[in-house]
Amino acid sequence: MTEEPIMTEKESMELTTSMINKAKNNFGERGLLYLIWGWVILFCCLVSFAGNYFFNFDKINFIWLVVYLVIIFQGFYIRKKRSSALTRTYTGEINGYVWLVFVVSLILMIFICNVAKQYVLIDPLLLVLYGMPTFLSGIIMKFKPLIIGGIGCWVLAALSPFINEQFSVLLIAAAVIVAWLIPGYLLKQKFEILNEGAK
Amino acid sequence: MEFKDLDPILHSQLRLAVMSLLISVKEAEFNFLKEKTNATAGNLSVQINKLKDAGYIDVIKQFNNNYPQTICKINEKGIAAFENYVKALQSYMSL
Repeated sequence: MTEEPIMTEKESMELTTSMINKAKNNFGERGLLYLIWGWVILFCCLVSFAGNYFFNFDKINFIWLVVYLVIIFQGFYIRKKRSSALTRTYTGEINGYVWLVFVVSLILMIFICNVAKQYVLIDPLLLVLYGMPTFLSGIIMKFKPLIIGGIGCWVLAALSPFINEQFSVLLIAAAVIVAWLIPGYLLKQKFEILNEGAK
Repeated sequence: MEFKDLDPILHSQLRLAVMSLLISVKEAEFNFLKEKTNATAGNLSVQINKLKDAGYIDVIKQFNNNYPQTICKINEKGIAAFENYVKALQSYMSL
């Protein structure tokens, strides 16, 4: 059997610190879902705005059905990611619950606004809700662009009552850029740098 | 000043490395521990079993896509032992 080297107290402390740092630097978020959702929602916002505003063609709103395809893709992606993940972290788990709370709140908000026929409130409330998981994810992951993105959503939500209803979808488009697309590309960059460094 | 004995189970390079990694995550796969510690599979497996026998970690063996998978997770006894070990180290180092 191999003889184990005897460690001094200092070496023990250094080993502990270095291993904790190695586990911390195991950054597994490549921003893919932020980018996919960001581009799909941005595309839907711009297409539905153009169809309604320039061509008065309200059937263009069916473009939003494409969201269901992304939901199906996300289901497969998360399943695959979970089965191939080498670790499960506490932050990853909390982050998952934050986004679950967002989805449940979103469904309830859309349901309530539709039943109460308060359609004009959907976009401003959507911006309020978008801000919550984005901001919290930024705090949990200690990633500033997401924190700024979340605050950006709330600023856009505060502006929404002063903007004509037909332009409110453009506020969603702006929110998607600040909260999902910009942080998504920065997350991708961080993932690539950290994984390159780990090789 | 009071000195505490260093836990012999934890005062070993590889076992301490494994415990330090596991304290930072909820659970980790065997290959993750192997990659981060640069240990051989055989040695790592022996040390994981020692930690398991001491009651510091839980080891779950399962299949993932038809491949065997070993998941390790630090438990409450392990967290307490790790905290005591670090406190003991600190008391020695503050000499």
